[in-house]
Amino acid sequence: MAKIIVSDSPHIKGPRTTKGIMIDVIIALIPAFVMGCVFFGVKALFVVALACVTSVLTEFVFLLIQKKKISDILKEFDFTSLVTGMLLGLTLSSEVPFYVPILGSIFAIAVIKMLFGGTGKNIVNPAIAGRIFVFIAFQSVMISGYVLPSINAITSSNQILGGATPLTSMLNGGPNLSNLDLFLGTGVAGCIGETSKAALLLGAIYLVIKRVINWKWPILYIVTTGIMAVILDKFNLSAFLPSILSGGLFLGAIYMATDYVTTPSTDKGCYIYFTALGILTAVLRYATKIEVVSFAILLMNLVMPLLNFRPRAFGEISSWQKFKQKLSHWQSRRAK
Amino acid sequence: MNWSKYKNIATNGVLKNNPIFRLVLGTCPTLALTGSALNAFGMGLAVTFILTLSNTFISLLRKVIPDEVRIPAYVLIIATLVTIIRMLLEKYIPVLFESFGVYLPLIVVNCIILGRAEGFANKNPIFDSALDGFFTGIGCTLAMGLMGIVREFLGAGSFFGMQLMDFRIEFFTSAAGAFFVYGMFIAIFNAAYKAIENKINKKNFALHLEELSIKENN
Repeated sequence: MAKIIVSDSPHIKGPRTTKGIMIDVIIALIPAFVMGCVFFGVKALFVVALACVTSVLTEFVFLLIQKKKISDILKEFDFTSLVTGMLLGLTLSSEVPFYVPILGSIFAIAVIKMLFGGTGKNIVNPAIAGRIFVFIAFQSVMISGYVLPSINAITSSNQILGGATPLTSMLNGGPNLSNLDLFLGTGVAGCIGETSKAALLLGAIYLVIKRVINWKWPILYIVTTGIMAVILDKFNLSAFLPSILSGGLFLGAIYMATDYVTTPSTDKGCYIYFTALGILTAVLRYATKIEVVSFAILLMNLVMPLLNFRPRAFGEISSWQKFKQKLSHWQSRRAK
Repeated sequence: MNWSKYKNIATNGVLKNNPIFRLVLGTCPTLALTGSALNAFGMGLAVTFILTLSNTFISLLRKVIPDEVRIPAYVLIIATLVTIIRMLLEKYIPVLFESFGVYLPLIVVNCIILGRAEGFANKNPIFDSALDGFFTGIGCTLAMGLMGIVREFLGAGSFFGMQLMDFRIEFFTSAAGAFFVYGMFIAIFNAAYKAIENKINKKNFALHLEELSIKENN
């Protein structure tokens, strides 16, 4: 006799899994990671690896405390914590002391992700929250620790402390690099992953081709930021490119703001979400004179539930149509 | 002397109805003043002092105060006591007075004190009320002091102002850190409380079974 299994829907499974998507994101992050290692040397590799290892270990320890079996943990491991660790490492400077990536990853995974219920239940992006935690916790280290990259960073041991990133120097009215330098990341002091926009774009193209992210949203975010920066700079059109090419805007827009869990589920919500992100980023940058992409994303993550509009049910009249109906009704009554 | 009653009042104040961790009252001074252990303990002791006296006076006047205007009457009594302690602190411990700032006059509307006045002092005799105020205050002091010690140690690397280490996580001295530590403490306290309660229940159940079996044997 054949065994009949009765189960709830869904009965048809798609080929896409969280694991597959996360592996795609890791592949997309590799160019930026490699460029970071080329620019900042072994130290950058060390920081990112430390963040990754700590993130994964924290998740394992947390699940072991919850009394799950090791075989189950390994089977259910979906690489999200690895992506979180990698992103967190890439948003740090290569000069940070060893405890910064460790504490940041522990906070991101244990507090932001696991305490809220694990993958897909977090209310804010763990990597962003981890970065902001270490930013607030070790302010003196985080602000002063940027180095100027050099192509032969792997061989030479003494690096020049750059101090200000191009973004901070631009916001404070200082001299700036050319747009091409900003795009390629040559001579840009900053976080490990944010320097080379070309590498980040390469990863973005991969993600778009694999349909992991929608190309509309990062572009909407970046362009809104640029336009808002132009407006704030008294309609000076030359401010457009430097403002979008400096700082962590590309990294945030491509890999962090598009996180599935913390973006609205409808297109309408997404248009508002990413436009508001762009405006917030430009305005806060103008007001505080520091890099604020992570803070803007954290802020919008928290208001995201308000933007989760209920999609229109089949056959349901939209509010605009309802309004038109009322209007015509009113007009016909007046005509009488 | 009714010892079991007093014991009950004491455990109620410190553990069962711990104002900070179990009832989540008096959150404002807890979050604002636990940045350093000294401030936290000082605030706790000030609350204890005021709570004991306010409970005593309210219990004393419980038959005089009309029911309709009891809250203004309580506030008047508490405000008098707060004014007294403000003057005392300003004269004798000016350092603590300055670090308390606006939170000292705010004790007037502290929910712990009004809550104990409403919940206990207006229907219990004087000595019981004073005892309840004292132990609730001690519970508050211990809770705030613990939070203060942890936050000061992690945020400034010191213990009651003594510098122990150079490593510091400034996050814990900020408001976000206060909320974080507060939540963690509530979680730990409630988990420990539940574990102890379960143990006692099991013990009582075992005793109960024993009694039953003895009865059956007889």
